[in-house]
Amino acid sequence: MHEPRRAEAHEAGGGSDESRRLLEAGLNLKPSGRVHAPSSTAPPESASSGAAGEITVADPVFSCRDLSVFYGDKRALKNISVDIGRRQVLAAIGPSGCGKSTFVRCLNRMNDTIPGARVTGTITLDGQDIHDAASDVVRLRARVGMVFQKPNPFPKSIYDNVAYGPRIHGLTRSRADLDEVVCTSLQRAGLWSEVKDRLKALATGLSGGQQQRLCIARTLAVQPEVILMDEPCSALDPIATAHVEDLIDELRESYTIVIVTHSMQQAARVSQRTAYFHLGELIEVGATEQVFGNPQRKLTEDYITGRFG
Amino acid sequence: MTVLLEGHTAKAFDGALLTLHMHVIEMGGLVLDQVREATRAYTEWDAQAAERVLERDPSVNSYDARLKEEQINLIARRQPVASDLKAIISMSQAVAELERAGHEARKIARTVLKIEGRPGPATARDVRHIGRLAIELLHSSLQAFDRLDQRLAAEVVAQDSELDAEYGAGLRRLLTRAMEDPRGFEVALEAAFVLKSLERIGDHARNLARHLQAMSLGGAAAVIEEPAPALTPPPAANR
Repeated sequence: MHEPRRAEAHEAGGGSDESRRLLEAGLNLKPSGRVHAPSSTAPPESASSGAAGEITVADPVFSCRDLSVFYGDKRALKNISVDIGRRQVLAAIGPSGCGKSTFVRCLNRMNDTIPGARVTGTITLDGQDIHDAASDVVRLRARVGMVFQKPNPFPKSIYDNVAYGPRIHGLTRSRADLDEVVCTSLQRAGLWSEVKDRLKALATGLSGGQQQRLCIARTLAVQPEVILMDEPCSALDPIATAHVEDLIDELRESYTIVIVTHSMQQAARVSQRTAYFHLGELIEVGATEQVFGNPQRKLTEDYITGRFG
Repeated sequence: MTVLLEGHTAKAFDGALLTLHMHVIEMGGLVLDQVREATRAYTEWDAQAAERVLERDPSVNSYDARLKEEQINLIARRQPVASDLKAIISMSQAVAELERAGHEARKIARTVLKIEGRPGPATARDVRHIGRLAIELLHSSLQAFDRLDQRLAAEVVAQDSELDAEYGAGLRRLLTRAMEDPRGFEVALEAAFVLKSLERIGDHARNLARHLQAMSLGGAAAVIEEPAPALTPPPAANR
């Protein structure tokens, strides 16, 4: 049983100048280390010592331990161990191909649908292994909803888009109940006032931002606990993006959210915790203020300050 | 050599940060010269030199205003985080210290134009000595800031206490002389203010060094040069 490795924790909240000086003295560092340019003789940065920062949280919804994903022979994720906190937003950032989307797709077993994909390690949702033979993957995907980069409304009416899930999962007993669920979901997604008079209209007639909020409403309609978002705003203009980010702020009062994003500014704006991935490994995870204000790993620092490549 | 202000994939970001840094040093050079001139004006009782200091004072203020704008533009354009953000904030605080040091130089210069009595030889000697210490301190701190040299910054922080001690001693000597000859009381009072200004300039120099130290404290930005001993695993950053 792999014990979650608690890496050296940085003082929460950044600490004071005085405490940093004491910390440096305690670590026996020279008081005036010169900063220098990285050279080939410097010890290589590796994640073999485990991710930096706070891997665990007090009340986790998901706990991943030693999670690895293989696509055939290629290893896309390497021994990821991290908790996801309840009713919080976790942002997954990193360069293209770093495994952040692969990681998020593990959480609702979307990788099952990819031929040749193999998952090792454990993922528990509220303490229960999601790969357990007895667990219901359909039910899992209702509990853990997903919103994709490109809004993908069904070619149906706005109403039917939102009603589809509850109908399929048999969540409502009457038409009145269904109407209620559709209304509530659209309200929670911040779309109700814009569409309440045209619920029968085709969803594809909505703007990009509205379509994305419709997809969120669709997810909400099946009463998830977790909402996964894979670059939900990449296809949206800044105003629509701001609406979705504001919505995320509201949603996290009731739902746990994991968001993959290419925009570091977005990650900094919407998340409480940030996880930085690089070449399939989790390099650093911690409070967003700490990752963006005072990152512990040089790889993290280089990525977020744009010194990469 | 430093990784602190450079290395961005977007070279324009490097350029903007380095330009900001250069402007801070330029302002420092101007303020250093003001302090030198003002101190000399007082010890040699040179009214023309004092006038020159006062004429140049608006340049210090305009540097302050321009640099504020430069910083705001940089933040708006680049949304800096981590070490870049710390660097910009530290430079902004350094500018404030320089602006106040310039203000002290102005006060010293005004003294020359304000009162009738020039300082006696003993007082002038004290002011010259303490002035030299303050100027050296400011010079060192600017050098440290220019080279982003943490070692020098630490030295400056240590040396300021020496200046404080000399200031205390100089003040005591001044008061003793004033008590022995009450006719020179007003001159002594002004001399005390000059000494205080010099002590404050030393403080600003020390603060400048502290802001430089703050630029690399904590996180992955500070990479310690010493190689790890062979038998232990390499340290990951410094925390």
